[in-house]
Amino acid sequence: MTYQRVSAAILQELRKICGEENVFVDPEKMEAYSHDETPAQDYGHMPEVVTTPTTTSSVAEILKLANREMIPVTPRGAGSGLSGGAIPVYGGIVLSVEKMNRIIEVDYDNMMLVVEPGVVTNDINDLVGERGLFFAGYPMSLETCFVGGNIAENAGGGKAVKYGVTGQYITGMELVTPTGEVIELGGKIIKDVSGYDLKKLIIGSEGTLGIVTKSTIRLTPKPKEKTVLLVLFADIEGAISMVPKIMTGAGIIPTSIEFMDQLSVHTSCKYLNEQLPYQDAGSMLLIEVDGSTRERVDEDAEVIGEMCFDGGALEVYVADNYTTQERVWSVRRNIAEAFKVYSPEQSLEDIVVPVNAIVELMRRVNEISEKYKIQMPSYGHAGDGNLHTTLVKPPEWSHEEWRKIEEQILRELYREVRRLGGKLSGEHGIGSKRKTFFQDFINESELMLIKKIKSAFDPKGIMNPGKIVD
Amino acid sequence: MKIIVPIKQVPETGNVKMDTETGTIIRDGSESIINPLDLYAIETAIELKEKHGGSVTAISMGPPAAEKALREAVAMGCDEAVLITDRKFAGSDTWATSYTLSAAIKKIGPFDFIVAGERATDGDTGQVGPNLAAALNLPMATFIRTIDVVKEASAIQVERLVEEGYEQLELPLPALVTVVKEIAYPRLPTLRGKQRAKKMELLRWGADDLDLDVTKIGLKGSPTRVVKIVSPRVTREGSRVEVKNEETLEKAVEELLTFLNERGFLAEHKRLTEGEKGA
Repeated sequence: MTYQRVSAAILQELRKICGEENVFVDPEKMEAYSHDETPAQDYGHMPEVVTTPTTTSSVAEILKLANREMIPVTPRGAGSGLSGGAIPVYGGIVLSVEKMNRIIEVDYDNMMLVVEPGVVTNDINDLVGERGLFFAGYPMSLETCFVGGNIAENAGGGKAVKYGVTGQYITGMELVTPTGEVIELGGKIIKDVSGYDLKKLIIGSEGTLGIVTKSTIRLTPKPKEKTVLLVLFADIEGAISMVPKIMTGAGIIPTSIEFMDQLSVHTSCKYLNEQLPYQDAGSMLLIEVDGSTRERVDEDAEVIGEMCFDGGALEVYVADNYTTQERVWSVRRNIAEAFKVYSPEQSLEDIVVPVNAIVELMRRVNEISEKYKIQMPSYGHAGDGNLHTTLVKPPEWSHEEWRKIEEQILRELYREVRRLGGKLSGEHGIGSKRKTFFQDFINESELMLIKKIKSAFDPKGIMNPGKIVD
Repeated sequence: MKIIVPIKQVPETGNVKMDTETGTIIRDGSESIINPLDLYAIETAIELKEKHGGSVTAISMGPPAAEKALREAVAMGCDEAVLITDRKFAGSDTWATSYTLSAAIKKIGPFDFIVAGERATDGDTGQVGPNLAAALNLPMATFIRTIDVVKEASAIQVERLVEEGYEQLELPLPALVTVVKEIAYPRLPTLRGKQRAKKMELLRWGADDLDLDVTKIGLKGSPTRVVKIVSPRVTREGSRVEVKNEETLEKAVEELLTFLNERGFLAEHKRLTEGEKGA
């Protein structure tokens, strides 16, 4: 695809569409829009112009202009993505939804909320929390990420075991198609089989099929009580083999089962200046259960805790108030950030396998780690088979060496994942980062279908090009 | 060694909202937890017990609901728990609280020392620890960051944080110390601990169970009164340097430099000439 450069005339038109204050080209300001949470030196790319439209009609106008002039448009939320989805890999226009951040309607009678895409996910929970409700499909980065990005990536997170992912809570949306048409999909309805479920197709399409300018979110009653167990095991296998046992044998659906290996816990504790007094454990599980009464939740936690002891747990710690729960969760939540600080050159992966294959997957990860003599700390949402295995560059390797071997290791890892019936990404997306691998690991007919769908929506290929497939 | 840890149950402040009009905590639906600074006292006591043997008794004066904090302390590793509760104690200030606690501690019997938290996160006075030492006529040291048991467990050597460093003190036992955060990382309660705490019988003592002068307890026995609660007013005034576009940027930088220079915050400042800027 050949794209045109953003000329002075196009800039002028953009200013007319969005207003002077919503178009900028200073490199210092644009730099922040040139990368996401993937390493900028490998995946970053500068846009030619950044726009921050405030209305649906401006978004539509921008896309029409881009179609006419063959300018690539990259939509952007908070930039907390982990697959390069919001990076303008072909330059062109970055369309940031940061100023479309209004909560348009709060409809408690239907337990629904209508919001613009630039609303910070946690703000929703702050707003509706007082009514005993919450938006259950949120990711770990909820304090910074935007709803728009959650929808684009179909974000998962720490509660997905019980509550599922973002897409399960989006019942309707207003979409600006890549050609600039505005359409309404779904609505304040729970069921809808009237034609193809295009809304579900948009969710997780990584901004390649249009820009969601409004979304209807279904709210869920917030459980009144919860308990977090921090369970210590001597080794990785002990912890990870416990996961399918709990999922199938406890008769309880936990809110979360998070796995953390020793290196992950150490790195995060060092970063937080926290000292869990049991860092010598080989690995840990963080298990959360929730419910409507304290007694019931205590009972469920006890059942799972006893199962863990039977399965060889060294110790089971119980956090049943906000303070202790925060202490435990913050160690888990800060692992990725901590690795970024201590080992900036790394590849944060997002592999997902059927939950009973997770034990086997961890064995393969260890073999690969030993074979290539690199550290591959693993942590993540073990309860739904989703692990954030991370490849860490040994300090003595050069960047070029690393990039070459990194690709080799990833291919080997993805091969194992596929063999176990898994996929490359569970919640972060393919984006630009995993595009080549994705195309190599997917069935050819499926790839063709994806490409046809893409061109049906976006015949000129201006909508977030360079993501998922070429 | 027998160690006693006085603790307080306070509202969880991590996720509560404040009433901005009255400056008080909206308690509806807020959880109660062990005063976070008391966790360091509990941890210290348990570590000393693990090292030197003996037992740890947690004691709390409060409404019946304070039982929850005591059970949490037992789940962490305390051996016994005593709840001092009676409507007659309602409205106690720090002095009456210390007096009542001292009577209860006398009833517990001989002990080696008392470890208290630095202060409670709700009242924020830090008075009950020292008051309690006075009521029991014990040697006392506040803001302790390390404790060593010495002289065949007849004394402790401690480091006491002061503004410009720390003091090394030795206290004969029995004694009372209040500890700071630096002293330990509080452990989490274990499942086995929780199970034990759930089953355990707490000691519950009211005014009639203690040898007390009834004129010294509760609201009537409290020499201090809370007359009014006000939020402190911020008297400092900030000045804002705003940048709207390229032209105002230069001016804003100039303003900021002048501000810092006037207060002597910058060592030597030389304005860059146009030529140097490019370099």
